[in-house]
Amino acid sequence: MEEIVTRLKNAVINYEMETIADLAKQIVDQGVDPLVAIEQGLAEGIKTVGERFGKGEIFLPELVMGAEAMKAALAVLEPAVPAGQHRATLGKVVIGTVQDDIHEIGKNLVSTMLSSNGFEVVDLGVNVPAADFLKKAGELKPNILAMSALMTTTMPRMGEIIAPLKKENPSVKTIVGGAPVTDVYAKEIGSDGYSGDASGAVDSAKKLVG
Amino acid sequence: MSYGIQRGIRFQILSEEDLDRIHWGTLHILEKVGVQVDSPTCRKLLKENGCEIDEKARSAKIPSHLVEEAIRKKKSTITLAARNPKYDARLDLNHSHMCANGNGAVAVDFETGARRNSTKKDLIDSTTLCDALPNVHVHWPMVSSTDMPPSVVHLHDLEASLNHTEKHVMYETGVTLADAKNLTAMGYAAAGGEKEYRRRPITSCLQCTYAPLQHDAGVMDASLEFARSGVPLVFFCMPQPGATGPATMVGSVVVGNAEVLSALVMTQLSTPGAAVIYGLGIAPLDMRTTVRAGGSPEHAICSAMGTEMAHYYGMPSCVGVSGTAKEPGIQAAIETYTGCVGPLLAGADLMCGIGLLEDSSCLHLEQVVIDDEIVGAIARLIRGEWACDDTMALDVIEKVGIGKNYLAQKHTMQYLKTDHFMPTLIDRRSEDNWSKTGKKSMKDTAREKVKKILAEHKVPALPDDVNKQLVAIIENSRKDLWGGESKVQ
Ligand code: B12
Repeated sequence: MEEIVTRLKNAVINYEMETIADLAKQIVDQGVDPLVAIEQGLAEGIKTVGERFGKGEIFLPELVMGAEAMKAALAVLEPAVPAGQHRATLGKVVIGTVQDDIHEIGKNLVSTMLSSNGFEVVDLGVNVPAADFLKKAGELKPNILAMSALMTTTMPRMGEIIAPLKKENPSVKTIVGGAPVTDVYAKEIGSDGYSGDASGAVDSAKKLVG
Repeated sequence: MSYGIQRGIRFQILSEEDLDRIHWGTLHILEKVGVQVDSPTCRKLLKENGCEIDEKARSAKIPSHLVEEAIRKKKSTITLAARNPKYDARLDLNHSHMCANGNGAVAVDFETGARRNSTKKDLIDSTTLCDALPNVHVHWPMVSSTDMPPSVVHLHDLEASLNHTEKHVMYETGVTLADAKNLTAMGYAAAGGEKEYRRRPITSCLQCTYAPLQHDAGVMDASLEFARSGVPLVFFCMPQPGATGPATMVGSVVVGNAEVLSALVMTQLSTPGAAVIYGLGIAPLDMRTTVRAGGSPEHAICSAMGTEMAHYYGMPSCVGVSGTAKEPGIQAAIETYTGCVGPLLAGADLMCGIGLLEDSSCLHLEQVVIDDEIVGAIARLIRGEWACDDTMALDVIEKVGIGKNYLAQKHTMQYLKTDHFMPTLIDRRSEDNWSKTGKKSMKDTAREKVKKILAEHKVPALPDDVNKQLVAIIENSRKDLWGGESKVQ
């Protein structure tokens, strides 16, 4: 059993996006505990990939391919997890780009980095109205609500979300980012965390759940 | 002498065959894959003109004949008129013009050196600077007035620009129908009425397409409004090779070309003969740092190829340059030089992007004057040389003869002015003199130049009655957005 879990881990490290689902099926068929496979196989694999990216040893497409491989295997393993049990994650993050803003590259990178560092990430996409952020925060009860805004005209939307969120769901922490956002601005609008790049987003998120 | 940079030499990256291939490949993509068109108005327009629309996917497949028709309706010469006609920028496929970068949201304070959100004062200072600099021909509001109420930041940006430069003002903040109407109204007011504006448009709008192969609803609705109102447009595509476009530069040019041409189709269907400039700013995503690689050689090559595509269609080009440096200095200079020289050699009609660092995000006033100097040097490089009686100077060579010098010749003084680039920041003095005056770095010299310009350069403001109209437009458009204008305390 250990051997096949190690193979799963290596399949993430080697970005085997096309074949990893078959391997995951084999794991389920052999009766290996899917939670063990997720935690010791996938999570360990993506952690290695994330660390390599952080150190500048690999390039962004490799990080994304590793994350894709992980997703493909999760799609097979998660449904096999017995009801009532949950995979251990560092926490749940709901992320999106605010209304009237369609810049998505930075937000996508932050999502990828968070999930490759052990967070469960729900991505709401771009041009997300404040009401949707608030609704999802209520429904999914994430540890963190993450917002991206790339324009001076859309930055204030983040404050518009944070103020009611702190009343409705005070346990949900917030992080914000995007080119025009500074740490001073983040403090002004009452955000718990801020980062200027994706690896900083991970540090900031870890601090908030830690 | 004509305004702008005279171009005498040119290099070519794409062959005629390459250009044809990219064109046919683009038509193939537009017919087979299509583009996403978020605006219902635009989808309706395309449907009525024979495009296949998928309402659920919001996509449109555009037949080649519509593209060819739109290209036929284009304008090949577009004059970006200026408040002072001596600054009229005639984009005629023969001259190059430079424009500073726009809409950064951060500035490094000239006095304190602190990095902070940009203010209206930063915008006024940078606008005054651009008005004075000889190698900035068209003006973009360089930073956003983030200290103004959020709903009208862009209108304050335009007001400050119109009052502090006599050059043409191009903005990129018309992203909703309401924005388009307000920005147009301000342009009309500053020009002295709609009729005068339509004759001499002193503002224009740059609109981004949304890679890969998408058109934002607000941006396109606003674009059609601008076209109807006689405001010249740039459709500016920005796929990032490897991320939102294929990793190959030519592949990303195909994606960008499909975006620009489909925007052109919608605009020409709505307002035939509208003034549309072909825009392209393709820079790869740096795959180690995830920062857009502005000022990279690839950025320059793409801007050069974008210009070649524009000229293939008989359209003027507006292409990008930027830099990822964090402070004025060696890296910034390398990035501006690399980013500008390629596209200018390829014949860019308008290049936008000098002066902001951190890839179009952060204003350093020193960098604006350093970049002006770099463009001045490139302008000399591409002016072209020719052999005629005057330049060959056989009579002077005969007169001076063997072993003497040319210092005391009238010909020398005459051609010094036109043929020798006279730098204002590059320091060519001896080491001795340089040491004696405090071993100043170029940034120090640039600071002095900024101070001098800001102290001495005066730009005539718009007439009072025009300013009253501008203020009224701003006040009427101010909305209580987002739970009140003020930031949450
Ligand atoms: C690429 C780009 C686009 C592309 C976006 C493509 C896409 N699929 O996302 C396109 C062409 C569509 C586009 C459109 C527009 N754009 Co644009 N765009 C850019 C550009 C050049 C790069 C953005 C980018 O992708 N960078 C790479 C990524 C990886 O970096 P990032 O987004 O900053 O993200 C990093 C960090 O900020 C941080 N981060 C980001 N989000 C979050 C979230 C959290 C929670 C955390 C912790 C961290 C974090 O981590 C990320 C990874 O390191 C910027 C300039 C710039 N350098 O920022 C302008 C810029 C953001 N755009 C700008 C403008 C004006 C527009 C348009 C309005 C132009 C127009 N007239 O059409 C439209 C917007 C329409 C709309 N409704 O949104 C302006 C904004 C100006 C201002 N003062 O507000 C900028 C600053 C350029 C400029 N100086 O003029 N744009």
